[in-house]
Amino acid sequence: MTERQAVTDAGSSTDGHGTADDLLRIDDLVVHFPIGGGMLDSLMRQPTAVVRAVDGVDLTLRRGEVLALVGESGSGKTTIGRVIVKLTRPTAGRVTFEGQDVTKVWSGQELRDYRRRVQIIFQDPYETLDPKQTIYDFVAEPLEVNGLGSASERRDRVLGALEAAGLRPAEEYAARYPHELSGGQRQRVVIAGALVMGPQLIVADEPVSMLDVSIRTELLRLMLALRWERGLTYLFITHDLSLAWVLADRIAVMYLGRIMEIGTAEEVIRTPRNPYTEALVSVSPSPEPMSREGRSERTILKGETPDAVRIPAGCRFHPRCPKAFDRCLVESPPLFDVGGGHRSACWLAEPGADIAGRALPVVDAAAAP
Amino acid sequence: MTAPAATVDAGPVSRPAREHSLLRRLIARPDGAFGLVIIAIFVVLAAIPELLVGPLQTATTATGGRLQPPSLAFPLGTDELGRSMLNLTVHGTRISMVIGFLATAITVFLGGVVGIVGGFAGGKLDSVLMRITDFFLVLPTFVLALILAPIISDVIGTGSTVLGIRTTLVVIVVVVGITSWASTARILRAQALSLKERPFVDRARVIGAGRLHIVRRHILPNVVNLIVANAVLVFAGAVLTETTLSFVGLGDPFQPSWGQLLNAAEDVGAANLGAWWYFVPPGACIVMVVFAFTLLGTALDDLLNPRRRQRR
Amino acid sequence: MSLPVPPSARDGITPPDVQTEELEEQEALEAIAKIDQVAPSAGITTAAQRRQRPLPKLADPAAPLLVVEDLKTYFSTGSGPVRAVDGVSFKLEHGEALGIAGESGCGKTTTALSLVRILPANAKIMSGSISLMGIDLVPKSDNALRRYRWREISIVFQGAMNALNPVRRIRDQIAEPIEERLGESPKAARKKAGDLLELVGIPRRRGDAYPHQLSGGMRQRAMIAMALACDPAIVIGDEPTTALDVMVQAQILELLEHLRQKLGLSLILITHDLSVIAETCDRVMVMYAGRVAEEGPVDEVFRRPRHPYTQKLMAAFPNIRADRRTLDVIPGEPPDLRQPPPGCRFAPRCPFAMPVCREVVPPETTFSGVRVACHLYPVGSDGVPVTVPPAMAVDALPAAAAG
Repeated sequence: MTERQAVTDAGSSTDGHGTADDLLRIDDLVVHFPIGGGMLDSLMRQPTAVVRAVDGVDLTLRRGEVLALVGESGSGKTTIGRVIVKLTRPTAGRVTFEGQDVTKVWSGQELRDYRRRVQIIFQDPYETLDPKQTIYDFVAEPLEVNGLGSASERRDRVLGALEAAGLRPAEEYAARYPHELSGGQRQRVVIAGALVMGPQLIVADEPVSMLDVSIRTELLRLMLALRWERGLTYLFITHDLSLAWVLADRIAVMYLGRIMEIGTAEEVIRTPRNPYTEALVSVSPSPEPMSREGRSERTILKGETPDAVRIPAGCRFHPRCPKAFDRCLVESPPLFDVGGGHRSACWLAEPGADIAGRALPVVDAAAAP
Repeated sequence: MTAPAATVDAGPVSRPAREHSLLRRLIARPDGAFGLVIIAIFVVLAAIPELLVGPLQTATTATGGRLQPPSLAFPLGTDELGRSMLNLTVHGTRISMVIGFLATAITVFLGGVVGIVGGFAGGKLDSVLMRITDFFLVLPTFVLALILAPIISDVIGTGSTVLGIRTTLVVIVVVVGITSWASTARILRAQALSLKERPFVDRARVIGAGRLHIVRRHILPNVVNLIVANAVLVFAGAVLTETTLSFVGLGDPFQPSWGQLLNAAEDVGAANLGAWWYFVPPGACIVMVVFAFTLLGTALDDLLNPRRRQRR
Repeated sequence: MSLPVPPSARDGITPPDVQTEELEEQEALEAIAKIDQVAPSAGITTAAQRRQRPLPKLADPAAPLLVVEDLKTYFSTGSGPVRAVDGVSFKLEHGEALGIAGESGCGKTTTALSLVRILPANAKIMSGSISLMGIDLVPKSDNALRRYRWREISIVFQGAMNALNPVRRIRDQIAEPIEERLGESPKAARKKAGDLLELVGIPRRRGDAYPHQLSGGMRQRAMIAMALACDPAIVIGDEPTTALDVMVQAQILELLEHLRQKLGLSLILITHDLSVIAETCDRVMVMYAGRVAEEGPVDEVFRRPRHPYTQKLMAAFPNIRADRRTLDVIPGEPPDLRQPPPGCRFAPRCPFAMPVCREVVPPETTFSGVRVACHLYPVGSDGVPVTVPPAMAVDALPAAAAG
């Protein structure tokens, strides 16, 4: 259905093959959502169109790392997170956790074991907590659902998790209802609820984007401290490249269901090898007043990300790409290794590509008549 | 603008204690206490009318004169047969209350199950359930009762009883039940549908909770207020439907109800004769029961919503 | 002015149906590219010709555009008044852009909405003055104030999808205030609405679209066109780019910048995002807990922040251009505005807090154009920024720095 976004040179890639360091691997993941018309369509099972939310993604999470998955809305980053925590069924592809294929695990003890080890923190702390549930009930719920521990053990674990999330005294918070807490406190409760089962991997889907700047840092600091204390691995999903820069070990940039570039935070931000990443970095906000030169150096892409229903042929970024050339219009680039695991899905990153010769733009939206 | 978290004096974690006191907290509120007291009085009236006002008076056991105004002997006056209105009104309570409760039970059960299952399960099951619901939704309660009541009475006979209740009353209960569950189902389905998409339900899935757990712990508590609000309306509606059916003569002539008393008052032309004591007592009872349930519904809605629990 | 014709259509090779959407996109891009060519004669006033319409009767032409003095807006709640805005003063000159920055609950939105009194029912302006071209708006009745809403002060809201009526074409929505408030004929109003659409980079033809048929960025452009409809003296942007993707945000900020140059727009931009202010505004006013912490020219305030809150706020922003991958922590949470701290409201969270800070409200002092309310800079001091002591500047995110 989709051509695989393969690693061109698997031998030299550090995460093309599974190693003992890999906690989670995603191979050629595809998630398509049929969007239907009315009731009749859904009854007849006749989808009228397909949203290609995730369209062939390979991704590896190494044990103990913070990998930031960055993309604009509609890039498919959240869908990947939902697939990992088994809220969304993939259309195709494979998910491997600790060397075991968990793609088909949808019930029974296996699923329960997986759920204990992989948790998610959602974006909106106001919505993640059930307004009718006390904080204690929320944090204890995973233990209860999975029948873990006696009543007093549960109590200890819940209070322990609340304290680990920085809610002290835990007893006092435990008896409250969500609306009695501030946004930052709520997100701490959500973190406690994820920690209580002792997970290995936490998918954090925009965990601080609803919070004020002054509260954000404490939460991020908490999350990263827990990473060392408990050996957690994070998939940090965010639209904010600046935030990814500050806290991630590696960054993967997504566009329209594909990974455009992946590498260490330093590589991706300081020496981006994909025109999309370059543009994103150039317009990423910073509180420093920009000089005139700084402003003119920005690459403000024209137009907006197209609908995932009609993904452009060739490289999906070519209609907005300032460096697109003939090949980009017809052929989708694989992820080329540009050195040390830094990879970019761009024909300009092809090994041996004569960049100077090829970067003759044939499509230049800015210069359109 | 988010208000800073209000500091509450939260005691040690003692969940059961917090939940147990629902009745106490209900009584602590003026509306809740008032509603409860009124309903309690009517429940007592319905349970032991004989102990309170003696056996049901009939034409043969009537002691008063025709259409006497209230007096010491007859605090609420008498009807055209000389029966005490107090006696009749108290004895009429049972029928009205029983019909109200049964119809509400049917509605809440059917509406709750269909609405929540449809909304939560979605897909084809939802489509099928909702088509069925729509069918019942457009059935007019009153017309249906008007048609069914005489038919069923003819078939079974007015004298026989089902579970101790006379058949005509069963018809009313069933008709009110089957025509009002559909709107309850629709409302609950819409709510379940939106709740299902809320992140806290996603979160429950991620921690491994099954459907039953999610419905019990996350859907139900969040629709309880809707169910209560609906039940109150259905109860009031059922009492009124019984009243109306009795008023047009489709009630049970052997058991007085408030509606029947109103019907009889109309037949006699009590209003024209100035015999206000004939229609005011049953009418006031209906208004009071409906009012009490409305009060109780509002109070419960407030109490079951933790967001409103703080302000008193 | 002719409609922009897409090149492919000119060549006559475009199958009409399949590529409609691409066509529209192409058109939109060209419309945006054409912004610069929109002639001033298109019914839009330029900076030079500003105020084609007469000033309000009582206006004093020599007065500053907007002067707000000691504004207090409180919310009444069951547990006492919330002092959302508690003594805020600022000034806006013709053609100036002022950014109001701060976190949620700091009073920035309430301050701006107090200007046109678009406030929740439980909010009330307690005291102070808002003088627009010399006319004090505070004592005016709601009825009298309505004359100033949208005609003199208009607003671009955050959620364009909510602010636009979903069942009306955008051209009609833009034409409505022109017709209703300026009393122009329906035809003239629609023509001007078309001009406005082009001005903000939406092809005139797309005026037929309903809001849901436009992309997020286009909707926000339409909102801006609507705010410009009556050629207002001041446009307030309430988090105008917050819900948008970073690239679209950059496009909208570019548009605002362009409109400012072209129309000499006077702008008040409310945002929690300092970068938006850094890019768009001349002056910045940092608010904390209902008061002004620091106010002054963007270059000065952002390069040499004086108030500890401004310093902390800037350091708490992830900065992709900074080498150190750190984020600063501001401990604690904003105060409860029902019982604000007696002295400086930031004192409980301030790394420099002195005994005096907890008791005395810091007066506002001015240094090289920057107004700052902090006891570190008493009247008569040199106003040299006191920076965060090194001990406090440890990496907030040591883990990330190590990784």
